[in-house]
Amino acid sequence: MIFDAVQSLLAPSALLAVFIGTVAGMIVGGMPGLTATMAVALLIPVTYALHPLTGLVLMGGVYCGAMYGGSIPAILLHTPGTPAAVATALEGYPLTQQGRGGMALKVSVVSSFIGGVFSTLVLLLTAPLLAIFALKFGPPEYFLLAILGLVGIVSLADEGRLIKALISGILGLVIAVVGTDPISGSLRYTMGVRDLFDGVAFMPVLIGMFSITEMLKLTGATRIIHEKAEIRPIKREPMPKGMGKFIGLGSGVGTLVGILPGEGATIAAFLSYNIARQHSKNRALFGKGNPEGIAAAESGNNGCVGGSLVPTLTLGIPGNSVAAALLGGLMIHGLIPGPELFTKHGVITYGFILSMFLANVIFLGLGLYFAPYFARISLIPTALLIPAVCLFSALGSFAMNNSVFDVYVMLFFAVAALVLERAGFSLGALILGLILGPIAETGFAQGLIVGHGSYSVFFTRGPCQVLWAVILLLLVPPVIQIYRNHVRGAKADG
Amino acid sequence: MSQRLVGILILAGLLTLAVLLYRSTASYPAFVQGSTASYVRFLAMSMGILCAAELLLSWRRKAGSGGATEEGSKNPRRFWALLVLIVVYALALDPVGFFPASAVFLPATMVAMGARRPLPIVLTTAGILAVVHVVFTKLLEVQLPKGTLF
Repeated sequence: MIFDAVQSLLAPSALLAVFIGTVAGMIVGGMPGLTATMAVALLIPVTYALHPLTGLVLMGGVYCGAMYGGSIPAILLHTPGTPAAVATALEGYPLTQQGRGGMALKVSVVSSFIGGVFSTLVLLLTAPLLAIFALKFGPPEYFLLAILGLVGIVSLADEGRLIKALISGILGLVIAVVGTDPISGSLRYTMGVRDLFDGVAFMPVLIGMFSITEMLKLTGATRIIHEKAEIRPIKREPMPKGMGKFIGLGSGVGTLVGILPGEGATIAAFLSYNIARQHSKNRALFGKGNPEGIAAAESGNNGCVGGSLVPTLTLGIPGNSVAAALLGGLMIHGLIPGPELFTKHGVITYGFILSMFLANVIFLGLGLYFAPYFARISLIPTALLIPAVCLFSALGSFAMNNSVFDVYVMLFFAVAALVLERAGFSLGALILGLILGPIAETGFAQGLIVGHGSYSVFFTRGPCQVLWAVILLLLVPPVIQIYRNHVRGAKADG
Repeated sequence: MSQRLVGILILAGLLTLAVLLYRSTASYPAFVQGSTASYVRFLAMSMGILCAAELLLSWRRKAGSGGATEEGSKNPRRFWALLVLIVVYALALDPVGFFPASAVFLPATMVAMGARRPLPIVLTTAGILAVVHVVFTKLLEVQLPKGTLF
């Protein structure tokens, strides 16, 4: 069957579809506000006229390309193309400012490739087994998964600013409360503004806090890279050593988290980044441009691609919104998720899975080839760059919901970010809280319903206990480190 | 206004927000008092306690310590010009429409940011608007604001 699938995939129309899909995905992922979900959803009616395999590989290419594409503007312009690329921006942009954007892009594309290939391999070999694991996760586990992501706040905190980082994270969670109550359906804190009924959209907030804020800061510079730094050609700067550990870590975490329905890629990227930060020998470099952080985050979010398709193809439960759109594409061709997908329709299903390997190879080739050209964006005079980025930021904020209100949200949060940042609050923690807020709240509320109002439901279930153990493992080392720093500081003062 | 004072004002504002947030949960429907209302109360309490602790630490710290983290723009004139232009642009999107507003915003901002040569300004503006038209309007069929005035 696999041999037949390979043969079908090698048809010129299928190969062309993978290529077009991957390139389109890279473009879509690279533009903040345009999402892979949007692109896949738009492609569904188009694929109706195509052969099922051609249509599916086109959508699969978009998914793979978009997940990688989000890292390009994150590294070069401090503008994450997708929420999953926020952690990449934290490390990638400082490298661009040092004239090492080419190397950062190289690390990003190689990590994305390995993460993507690993997760697709897992999907190919163990999909039905892993689907059973996904079914063990209920609301209490999702709440703890969000907490696991939020543990990253402790790592994101600058020295001596832990409390402010925690406040920032909680502020993000509070902002995420605005909108419709997930249990009662009643409106909360919307002030009668219809655009807030679905909550504060996180993409405009993300764009405002990262992109617009950075453009405002750049008004005093003539170009992105620091005046004294020189752009280093990518060919002269090899892939940094020691990345394998972090890529492996991200790939594993990404695949595992991706299997669980929800905001997988963002949690996976932050979780991988957090673990990498704690286990790095170059911890002091984090936040100042550490390629290890990019490697972990990018392999983490691309690892989710294959992972998210495990429950989609086996159980019909989409791992995330893109997988949901892909599920629509499958069903339109009469391909119903379940065992038949791997037997009766095995040629198409395996052809689709194999096409994702190809999509990863395509974006690897394109990413490596174009990295030096992309990196030259950092040399464009800010007089031309700032207006263009501001326009695309406004456009990206608008395009998510076709709402001008979201452009105002973007501006509000850009100004708020400037004030908060200058007062020492952590923007990364705020964003993390905002993104994970809905998962945390829904998991918490539904978990309490499941447990008939008893909090013990968060402690007694097997997967919950495992998650608590992981949370403690991640939380204890930074807390000890903070304590040691405090004691050292007190001794130095005394 | 010193940065320390800004920090204290923000913390005081957030502390007030935490109190209001906690009190607001009383108006939640009775059947969510044990679920979402509890969650919001937990957030409010956590934020309140942390803000109070940080405020206390801020008062104890010497003035001048724990200040700014990030450098702002080195050119305040351009900083404020950009901020004003973006605000005006955002406000103009609905009444004027996306393309006319952008056709003014792009060159105006380029000039405000220090661009002086007309050719790059015109070419960049035209290029960006063409890309937006092809990708967003034609390919992705995003309904950009058309304007209500004209």
